[in-house]
Amino acid sequence: MGTAELLQFAIAGLKNGSIYALVALGFTIVYASTGVINFAQGEFVMLGGMLSWWSYSMFDVPLVVAGLMGVALTAVVGIVFELVAIRPRKDGNPLALIIITVGGSLLLSSLARHAFGPLEKSLPAFTPGPSFRVLGAAIDRQTLWIFALTAIAVVLLSLLYTRTRVGKAMRACSIDRSAARLVGVDPRSMVTLSFALAAALGALAGLATTPLTQTAFNIGPSFGIKGFAAAILGGLGNPFAAVIGGLTLGLLESMSIAFISSTFKDAISLLVLLLVLFVRPQGMFGRAVREKV
Amino acid sequence: MGRAALLRYVPGAVVALFFAALPLLATGSDARYVLKVFTFVGVNALVVLGLALLFGYAGQVSLGHAAFFGLGAYTSAYLTTRLELPWIIGLLAAVLVTAIGGMLLALPSLRLKGHYLAMATLGFGEIMHVAFVEASGITGGPDGFSRIPLAALGGFVFESPQAKYWLVWGAVAVGFIIAGNIVSGRPGRSMLALHGSEQGAVASGVDITGLKVRVFTASAVYAGVAGCLYAHVVGFISPSSFTLHNSVIFVAMAVLGGGRSLAGPVAAALILTLAGFADAVFPGLSRETLAVIQDWQADLYGLIIISVMLLAPAGFAGLYRAGLRSVGVKL
Repeated sequence: MGTAELLQFAIAGLKNGSIYALVALGFTIVYASTGVINFAQGEFVMLGGMLSWWSYSMFDVPLVVAGLMGVALTAVVGIVFELVAIRPRKDGNPLALIIITVGGSLLLSSLARHAFGPLEKSLPAFTPGPSFRVLGAAIDRQTLWIFALTAIAVVLLSLLYTRTRVGKAMRACSIDRSAARLVGVDPRSMVTLSFALAAALGALAGLATTPLTQTAFNIGPSFGIKGFAAAILGGLGNPFAAVIGGLTLGLLESMSIAFISSTFKDAISLLVLLLVLFVRPQGMFGRAVREKV
Repeated sequence: MGRAALLRYVPGAVVALFFAALPLLATGSDARYVLKVFTFVGVNALVVLGLALLFGYAGQVSLGHAAFFGLGAYTSAYLTTRLELPWIIGLLAAVLVTAIGGMLLALPSLRLKGHYLAMATLGFGEIMHVAFVEASGITGGPDGFSRIPLAALGGFVFESPQAKYWLVWGAVAVGFIIAGNIVSGRPGRSMLALHGSEQGAVASGVDITGLKVRVFTASAVYAGVAGCLYAHVVGFISPSSFTLHNSVIFVAMAVLGGGRSLAGPVAAALILTLAGFADAVFPGLSRETLAVIQDWQADLYGLIIISVMLLAPAGFAGLYRAGLRSVGVKL
C-alpha cells in the first residue's frame, strides 16, 4: 500500500475519530456529574442532524443559522430530558438512572421517527467545492470542517472548565458533590448543565457529519456505542482522554479497513470496547479505583 | 388455611390453570391466531424470567439478551437443519452454547460495577448481530434461516398450534419453578443481600462475583432456551429478531414487572407482547386502531421504562404487594 493510500485511510480515520471524540466528550461530561453512563447520548447526535435539517428545510434560513438552531434545540432537549427524567429520581441510584437513559434513547428515537419520518435526511456541505490534495491524498472540505469544529469545541470546553466560574463549579461537583454544595454550588443545576453540554456536543457531531453520511431516526445507538468505546478507551471522566480515545478509535477502525476488511468495520469498535472493559477498564489514561467497604 | 396463604397461592393456581387450559378455551374461528400470539407471549416470558433473576435479584441489567436469544435460536437451527440432528440435541446445544457465552461475558465484566456489564452486554449484542448478518455460511445472512424442523420428542412432533403452545408454556412453567427454587434458596437470599449492599454481602461471606456470574449465566440460558423454542415453533429466524431494540424491549418487560418477583415480569411480558397483537384479545378491534398501537409501540416502551423507574420502581410486583397491604395482608 502506497503512502498516499495510507494517508487517505488515516484522514478518514481521524475524521470519524473526531466525531467519536465529540460523542465521547458528552459521555465523559455526564459521567463526571452523575456517575452514570448516558445511554441516550447517541440520540443527541441523531437529533443534532435532524433538528438542523428541520430548521434548514422549514424556515429557509442560511445553513449556519440552521446548524446553530439544531445544536441549541438539541441542548434544550438534553435539559428537558434531565429535568423530566433524571432529576425526579432523587436517590440517584445508578442502575435506575442507566435504565432511564436506555428508555430515553428508545423514546427519543421513536419520537424523532414520528416527527420527521423514517427516511434519511441530508444537509448540503458547509462550503461546497473541490477537495484539497495533500501528498496524493484528497481531503474534502467537509472533513476540514469536522476537524475545525472538533478543535473549536475542545478549546471552548477547556476554557469553560479552567477559566469560568460555572466550569470550575462543575469540576468541583464531579470531585466532591457535598463539598461543592458546602461552598455554595448547586449540584443539581450542574447535572442539568452537563446534560445541556453533552447534548450540544453530540448535536455538533451530528450536524458536522450529516452532509457526508446523512442522518435518520435510528442512527443514535451506533454513534452511542462508538462514542462510549472511545470514552472508555481513553478513560472515563477525563475530557482530554476522551478526545485521544476518539481519534485512536477512528484510526484503528480505518486501519482495520485498510489492512483487514471492511465487512467487520463496525465490529472493530465493539471488540475494542470489550477488550478495554476486560483488560484495562480504567482506559489508557485512567487510574484503577478500588471500592472499599 | 389462613387468609394470607390463600391470597398467596390461590391467584397463582388460578392463573396457571388458565394458561394450561387456554388451548381448550380458545375455539373460535381465530383460535389458531390467538394461540400463536400466546405462544409468542410464552417465548418472551421465558426470556424475561431470566432477565428478572438478573435485574430483580442481582441488581444488574443486560442490554444483550436478544443476542443470547438469537444464539440459542441459531445454534439449534443450524444443528437440526444443516446437520439433521434431533431437536433435543439442538436444545441441549443451545443451553450449552449460551451458558458458555454468558459465562465468558460475565467473568471479566462482573468484576466491575453495574454500568460495565450493561455496556459489555450492549457491545456483545451488537457483535452478535453483526455475526448473524455477516456469517451467512452458517446463519443464512440477512435473509435468515428458513425451513427449520418443528420441535419433536421421540416420535411426537409439536405441529398443531395447541401442541406448540403447551410446549412453550410447559417450558415457562419449568423455568418458573427452577427460578422460584433459585430465589427462595440460599442463592436467592445472597442475591438480595447483594442488592442491598455489595460490601455488606461480602462481609457476610457471599462470593459476589461467583454468584453474579452464575445468575448471569442462568439468565443467558433462559434466553437461549427461549430462542431454541422460538426457532422450532416458527420455523424461520432472521437477524432482525435479535437486535438491540429487542433487548431493550425485554428490559422494559423486566422493569415493568418489578424486582424481586417472577410473576410480575411474566405479567409484564404478557401485557407488553399483547400490546402489538391486541386483536388477539379484543377481536372487535379495528385494523386502524391496531396499526396506531403498533406505530406507537416503541414510544410506549420507552415511556414505560422511564415512568416505572420514576413513579413505581417496584413495578407490577410492588403495586400488587401494596394492594395486598392496603387490605391488611402482608406477604
